[in-house]
Amino acid sequence: MNLKRIWTLIRTEVFHGPKDVVLVMAVVIPVLLALFVNLAFGDIFTDRAKLGVYDTGDSPLTEKLVSSESMRVITYHNEADLKAATAGGAVDMGIVLPADFDTRLEANSVAFKVYIWGESQAKSREVISLALNDAVREMIGSVLPVNIESLPLGDKSSLPWSDRLLPLTVLMAVFFGGMMLPASSLIHEKQRRTLEALSVTPATISDIFTAKGVIGVVLAMIMGVLTLAISTSFGGSPLALVLVLALGAVLAAEIGLLAGAFIKDMNTLFAFWKFGGLLLFGPAFIFMFPQIPAWIGYIFPTYYVIKPVTDLSVLGVGFGSVAIYVAILIAIVIVVGLVVMNIIKRLSTQALRLNG
Amino acid sequence: MKKDIALFSSNRFYLLITVIGLVFYVGVYFVLPSQMDEKLSLAMYAPVVPPAFSQLTEHEGVDIKYFTDEESLKKAVLNGDYQVAIVLPPDIMDTWAAGGKPGISVYYASSAPLEMNAAIVALVKELSYAQTGQALNFETTEEILGPDMLGNQIALRDRMRPLLAVFILLVEILTLASLIAVEIEQGTARALLVTPLRVSDLFIAKGVLGIGLALGQSILFMELVGGFSYQPLIILITLIIGSVMVVGMGFLVASLARDVTAVTGWGMLVLILFAVPGFGAAIPGLISDWARVIPSYYLTDTVSRVANYGAGWGDIGTNLAVLAGFTAVVIWAGMATLRRRYQ
Repeated sequence: MNLKRIWTLIRTEVFHGPKDVVLVMAVVIPVLLALFVNLAFGDIFTDRAKLGVYDTGDSPLTEKLVSSESMRVITYHNEADLKAATAGGAVDMGIVLPADFDTRLEANSVAFKVYIWGESQAKSREVISLALNDAVREMIGSVLPVNIESLPLGDKSSLPWSDRLLPLTVLMAVFFGGMMLPASSLIHEKQRRTLEALSVTPATISDIFTAKGVIGVVLAMIMGVLTLAISTSFGGSPLALVLVLALGAVLAAEIGLLAGAFIKDMNTLFAFWKFGGLLLFGPAFIFMFPQIPAWIGYIFPTYYVIKPVTDLSVLGVGFGSVAIYVAILIAIVIVVGLVVMNIIKRLSTQALRLNG
Repeated sequence: MKKDIALFSSNRFYLLITVIGLVFYVGVYFVLPSQMDEKLSLAMYAPVVPPAFSQLTEHEGVDIKYFTDEESLKKAVLNGDYQVAIVLPPDIMDTWAAGGKPGISVYYASSAPLEMNAAIVALVKELSYAQTGQALNFETTEEILGPDMLGNQIALRDRMRPLLAVFILLVEILTLASLIAVEIEQGTARALLVTPLRVSDLFIAKGVLGIGLALGQSILFMELVGGFSYQPLIILITLIIGSVMVVGMGFLVASLARDVTAVTGWGMLVLILFAVPGFGAAIPGLISDWARVIPSYYLTDTVSRVANYGAGWGDIGTNLAVLAGFTAVVIWAGMATLRRRYQ
């Protein structure tokens, strides 16, 4: 292996290599997915009740409702929008506060219009009614007849859906670029028979594989970090996070090189991606649905990438808490690396030519 | 057509992932919750139950379980059986009678969402106000929009059913476009055209294969997940039109792309765009009326309304007309552009 030759190959690949759809997808799709998850899924899959308010006056009740912890409140500027939002399920319930709401409240004769989404859950309706009562009581200055003490039990914390989807976005970012780029690049070379041209140069198969692997690792790292940046999820140990991402990127590139070595056309590569995606992204579903037993994750190699990433970025734990997963990940990277090296040894230029 | 079937089935890997993919979609359906838990589930330990609190059992949105001691109640919360629990003191009524403020403990699992604790605290407050004669009286005019599904909610997996079914159809855009792109790339399409085969025959052969693949899988999926329980004929016709639509899209994508890689790229973009309305069916309120400009909306909406809400011909007639119209346009455009590529 010659570092100078590898660097030349990397430069050639970067400046003159194919700028095809795989590259565009590797860059665009993870960014779009991360943006989508953060913008849209931040509050979608929660069981939190949603109340729509159209305040025809300027009642302080609206502000009190907005500050309620038990539900999400969306304000509307006209009744038609509120009604449409309720009918479409954007909110569970919509209330129209009359202009004289505050005056009538003082006179103890509160009246308003309520739209209820037919598919809203019973608990959402209950929670909204309770929160509404609570806000009204706060306005009229009711004195609470009890002392309530809230006490947490256990040491687990709940995760919003945007955080549960983080493993999927990170895996997509790291594995699509890291795996597909080296694989597609090798397949392109085989299909266009440019590997044969390289075989008459001093570059070895090992140099070629290393150059393509490095590009995959760098792209996977950049996309992984970018995804975490979009999700603002760097936690308290950013260096440890980058280390885990780097290991994940290496694993992705190794799998990509293996795929590139054995697969002879892009069609089969994408078929491999469709099937392999189930195995690669399996752990993401375990994070999405805590009801799935956690032990199932242990059988997926990508679990050891995503578990430390999630723990470091979302839960904010230190490196010590994820060291065991990182150690297993290093072991996996080494084993797959040995397999790649073994394949490189076995692959002569002639063998590649035959595959192409 | 025999050649296309042979081409598809000769690639055992393609065949395998098609089968595994279908098993995966069916698996996803059955893994998702089959029922909607629409009540606030809470535990309570109350040596003395004040009348206002005893009325909790009558609340539609609350499911309450009484415990005989505080320790077992705390254990139930820690075990995850309940997210929130209320403990009332034994002297609660006496304290109120003496004009004092009794202390009520609300235990919540630390893994429970914050809103859960806030909701139960609000509930305790309201019951306490009611017990001490401070009930609020609102005069409300209520209007329920859409069918009132209280107690009869659609389970998440049934909401996901249209998305999964449509997704199975959409993936075939990629499969068909890839098969065509391979032929164009390898030059076999032109070779075929020097035989007595006409371009229209080629389209029919590929179209029938594409429709067969898409329709076969979607029918099998819907059959396995009970999607034909209501109005099976409407569902079947919708899936047939949907299959023709994906064939048209497959032709279009194949004609626009230079090679198989580009097919996958463009195909993925189309797939993501066309899958968006499916998310709207799975998560009500996620997308608004703008989704109607995406043609697959009329496919997803029809499957959703028929399979989940028991809609009939009259309800979805417009949807089917729009879908059929778009399908006619897309199949014509796909064949026209692809004919140019072939020639």
